[in-house]
Amino acid sequence: MTTLVDFSRKPTNEPVKGEFLLQSLPLLEIKNLSISSFGTKKKEDIKLVKNINLSIKPGEMLGLVGESGSGKSLTACALLGLLPKSLKVTEGQIKFHGRELINLSEKDMRRLRGNEIAYIFQNYQGSFTPFIKIGKQLIEALRSHQKISKQDAKKKALLWLERVKLPANQVFSSYPHQLSGGQLQRAALAAALMFQPLLIVADEPTTALDVLTSETILDLLVDLQKEYNCAVLLISHNLNHVLKRTDSIAVMYGGQIVEKGLTNEIRKNPFHPYTKLLLQARPVLSRVVPEKLVVIPGEPGLVAKEGCAFAHRCPKSFIKCSILPKMKSVGDSHWIACHAKDSEADDTNASSKKCF
Amino acid sequence: MRFFYAFFKKTYLTVMKMKNWSPAALLGLILLITIVMITAIGPFFLPNNPYMVNMAERLSSPSLTYPFGTDHMGRCIFSRIVIGSQATLGITVLVITTVILIGIPIGLVSGYIGGRLDSIVMRMADGLIALPEFILAIAIAGFLGPSLTNLMISVVLVKWISYTRVVRGIVLSEREKEYVLAARVGGCPTWKIITRHLLPQIISPVLVLATLDVGKVILIISSLSFLGLGAQPPAPEWGAMLSDGRPYFQTIPELMIYPGMAIIIVVLSCNLIGESLRDKLDSKSI
Repeated sequence: MTTLVDFSRKPTNEPVKGEFLLQSLPLLEIKNLSISSFGTKKKEDIKLVKNINLSIKPGEMLGLVGESGSGKSLTACALLGLLPKSLKVTEGQIKFHGRELINLSEKDMRRLRGNEIAYIFQNYQGSFTPFIKIGKQLIEALRSHQKISKQDAKKKALLWLERVKLPANQVFSSYPHQLSGGQLQRAALAAALMFQPLLIVADEPTTALDVLTSETILDLLVDLQKEYNCAVLLISHNLNHVLKRTDSIAVMYGGQIVEKGLTNEIRKNPFHPYTKLLLQARPVLSRVVPEKLVVIPGEPGLVAKEGCAFAHRCPKSFIKCSILPKMKSVGDSHWIACHAKDSEADDTNASSKKCF
Repeated sequence: MRFFYAFFKKTYLTVMKMKNWSPAALLGLILLITIVMITAIGPFFLPNNPYMVNMAERLSSPSLTYPFGTDHMGRCIFSRIVIGSQATLGITVLVITTVILIGIPIGLVSGYIGGRLDSIVMRMADGLIALPEFILAIAIAGFLGPSLTNLMISVVLVKWISYTRVVRGIVLSEREKEYVLAARVGGCPTWKIITRHLLPQIISPVLVLATLDVGKVILIISSLSFLGLGAQPPAPEWGAMLSDGRPYFQTIPELMIYPGMAIIIVVLSCNLIGESLRDKLDSKSI
């Protein structure tokens, strides 16, 4: 398969021969990925991300949702080889554009970062070095990946600042602290998109912004993503953002993916109890808002050590939940990892087996 | 080069905002500028040849020909102090520059890269810092043999540690910040992160440390010279002059008072400036 696609070529806007095939091949494929923290000496290693599988196609926007500590950001860090020294990928593969990312040398990784995989931070204040002007940082970034002159780099940086709807000349010669949060996040977006990367990892890009600003910034991201046909991995807590914009969703709980599939599919008929509760816990303004929203029982971060991570908090859990459920298809591009689904089918009295 | 440019720019900018300076710091600055001026142009206006031995005029009291009198060899003390300032200040500047040039890169690399390299460098530093720096400097200078070059080497070997530790400490806290991560994610090579993104952060603390250290280094150099490990006679050096005047302290204390005063004034002015800089640049950790 790999012989059919020239991986050294960056995608352009014009349709090319074989584009159709490239479209159907996943751009990023995470297979059976596990991340563990090193136990000191005799302590056991703690598995933080457990055997997850994900794939993103070129031009697709995948939303990764889940509560804090469910391993979303860790997965993104593993993707870029930025895991802290105490954590390590213990199993699995990350295949990006035909290349294996785990065990990639630091030099090759550096070429990849920014150029082919861009990363947008949650904390917009942190995306730029505080004492260097924005323009200089953009030029420096451009020149570290591409062989272009300073003038060309400046032109390109200005163009991109304009494209994210900023007053380019003014922003170009300001320091990060002179800009507002929204402006900075736009500038960060420009810095990420400047290289026309194949994949953008947006790690909660709008958490620190207000509702309207985050809407406009995400709209901008979606527009530019469509224009340049790059894939986006959108990590977010905000279900509304994710449901509104993504093509597909993966829901994570306690380091496992519990449900994944096309966004429309999941919005209409979620199968996993966690997804169901999440969707019900969200006020929908087009309908009558109930007096009390649904509450997921238990405290956040309560993760079962064996079996299904959600078992302790799940209203439907039963004995079988102590065995790790496998991902299985429940419809057209829709997978869940839950035992309750099978037992509903073959045993209507599943609730009588409840043990928690 | 970039670092030195930024270093001098920062110094210049801080000096330019003089109206906010405290009177003490202003006094220190004026004293230091005067001394530097004397060092620079004084040797052209010497009343006497500082090396000329005139046994007939030995130990004479101050007069018009000899403003500060003469020493035990009949040499003009005033001329010797002016010439000696070149040795003392020159060596000090050289030592501080070398120490900055050695300490900063080691601290940056060891702090940013960390791991085993960091452990080795820091254990070495711990070992060196466990001994009083003056004693260590005496030991090294004594081991290498008395000369100005060896004196400089011994002071540099003793002094680089504190710079490395300060730089490493700052780098350790800065490298965890998100802008460094952002630079890494943007594909910035390690050396560029160190030079562009981390180096500017350490200018202010190093500037303060350097000004405060000027006084200490002058003291160490003078002390070592006093002990006979530094400048060799007949070279005029303040510490060596103190040493020369010691036998006559009971009868003619001026022989020790003039070079001693010179040392005190330089050290005092450097400390006044250093403390005020520390308050201004708000680096409380030093």
